[in-house]
Amino acid sequence: MLRIEGLSAGYSAKPVLNDVSINVGAGQFVAIVGPNGAGKTTLFKTISGIVKPSGGAISFDGVDLLAVPPPQRAHLGIAHVPEGRQVFPSLTVMENLEMGAMTESGRRDWQANIERIFEWLPVLKERRNQFAGTMSGGQQQMLAIGRGLASSPKLLMLDEPSMGLAPSTADFIFERLIEIRRQSGLTMLLVEQRVAEALESADHGYVLEAGHVVLEGNNDTLRADDRVRKAYLGM
Amino acid sequence: MEGFFQALAAGLLIGAVYGLMCVGLGLIFGVMRVINFAHGDFMMLGMYVAFYLFTAAGIQTLFGNTVGPFVAILLAGPVLAVFGYFVHLALISHVSGTRTASLEGEGHYAQLILTLGIALILQNGGLIVFGSVLASIRTPLSSTAWELGPYFDMSIFLNKARSIDAIVSLAIMTLLSLLIARTRIGKSLRAAADNPTAATYMGIDVDRAHRTAFALGCGITAIAGGLLATNYPFHPFVGLEYVIVMYAGVVLGGMGSIIGAFWGGMTIGLVQQMSTLILPTQLQNAAIFAVFLLIIFFRPQGFFGRMVERT
Repeated sequence: MLRIEGLSAGYSAKPVLNDVSINVGAGQFVAIVGPNGAGKTTLFKTISGIVKPSGGAISFDGVDLLAVPPPQRAHLGIAHVPEGRQVFPSLTVMENLEMGAMTESGRRDWQANIERIFEWLPVLKERRNQFAGTMSGGQQQMLAIGRGLASSPKLLMLDEPSMGLAPSTADFIFERLIEIRRQSGLTMLLVEQRVAEALESADHGYVLEAGHVVLEGNNDTLRADDRVRKAYLGM
Repeated sequence: MEGFFQALAAGLLIGAVYGLMCVGLGLIFGVMRVINFAHGDFMMLGMYVAFYLFTAAGIQTLFGNTVGPFVAILLAGPVLAVFGYFVHLALISHVSGTRTASLEGEGHYAQLILTLGIALILQNGGLIVFGSVLASIRTPLSSTAWELGPYFDMSIFLNKARSIDAIVSLAIMTLLSLLIARTRIGKSLRAAADNPTAATYMGIDVDRAHRTAFALGCGITAIAGGLLATNYPFHPFVGLEYVIVMYAGVVLGGMGSIIGAFWGGMTIGLVQQMSTLILPTQLQNAAIFAVFLLIIFFRPQGFFGRMVERT
């Protein structure tokens, strides 16, 4: 579904991503793990069009994504749940969800989507008239996820949903994501620093270090790798 | 005492129009964060468009001297909105929005020079095209008044034209508030203002949202200008007199708050009229800024401004 080939990108002359190739099949749950500054967020921003690549190709559902203007990419079915949540603080929870549903499919499926989102993330229903900026970090993260789901995406991209949250809150959000994935079968691409949890639930994983994919494979392969065990799993 | 209520009434009426004028600028600043120094001159254009629509485009013969001016003024709104749309497309978009999002100062320096340049061109171009003679959109209503009262031996006189100006301002303000609060366009404008990057992730074209805000802001201020012109004569440099009042109103209301800009403008109208009770007319504008400083001193974020960091 999402095919990234030989992608290079950066903010100035110094590239952040170097010849990165990643493949996400329909229905797959793919995790990208790696340390701070490895280029994970830049990768997502390049997929969404905020960062322009210096080389390589990205195709989504057979469409050359790099030829699509950034605001149009959401309409193809890519939902980006950004790092640091980035909800719209002066909009209410409900209005934030409506912004998620700016896409045609999101508008069409609005009723059904909103019911499911409220079922998965009940706190959003309780607080639907509250301004997003006044919610806690964990609640904002759930709103960011709900906002992504409201677009009826084909691919849900999650950039460090556990960032800056208390471990118990992060655990809860992770558990919700697994449940959403189990019920909906949605294709997901996850970037995480919580490596153990990310690899455990993913079908396929990539290790990104200093802009390079240094390793890829399924959970067992990655867990069996000595470097991953030492550097990320503390074993 | 009678003088006090008379000044209060006059302040409320003029304040409503100032409020609308500030809302046009506040909308542009709130959504785009562009400092538009040419906004007073867009208003001047709006005044002349209303003037010529009324006198030269047949609206006077069609609707007469009483209703005609207001029809022309309301039509000047869409005309200036279209003008603003193309000014944004051709000029402003190059120094704002996604093009400059990653630059230091988000392109504010270039915006400053560009909008000052547009202001100069409009002022001097206006001088060539319209001439330096004072123009005004007079209606018979401008020189007649309704009498309220007498209550307790006091009568308050409301200038008919100014009263209708205030009502039109409030009506447009109400429509705009509904547009911003309830409609998809309004919500996406607010989302684009809150977080342009996240708005792009939602599939909102931020540059187009900016263009919409710019066009709307120009149209609204043009209508406010036309309304002012029913009582105040104008000339090609009139924008200079008002742009500072506009900025004072927007800052007073709280940068980024659209409803705040209205109350900011209203405050300025009130202060301006009430100050005539105790100060000579020449000090009207000085009084505005004394009160402005006083309010900002105690409430730096303005009436409706929020002390939040932009994400």
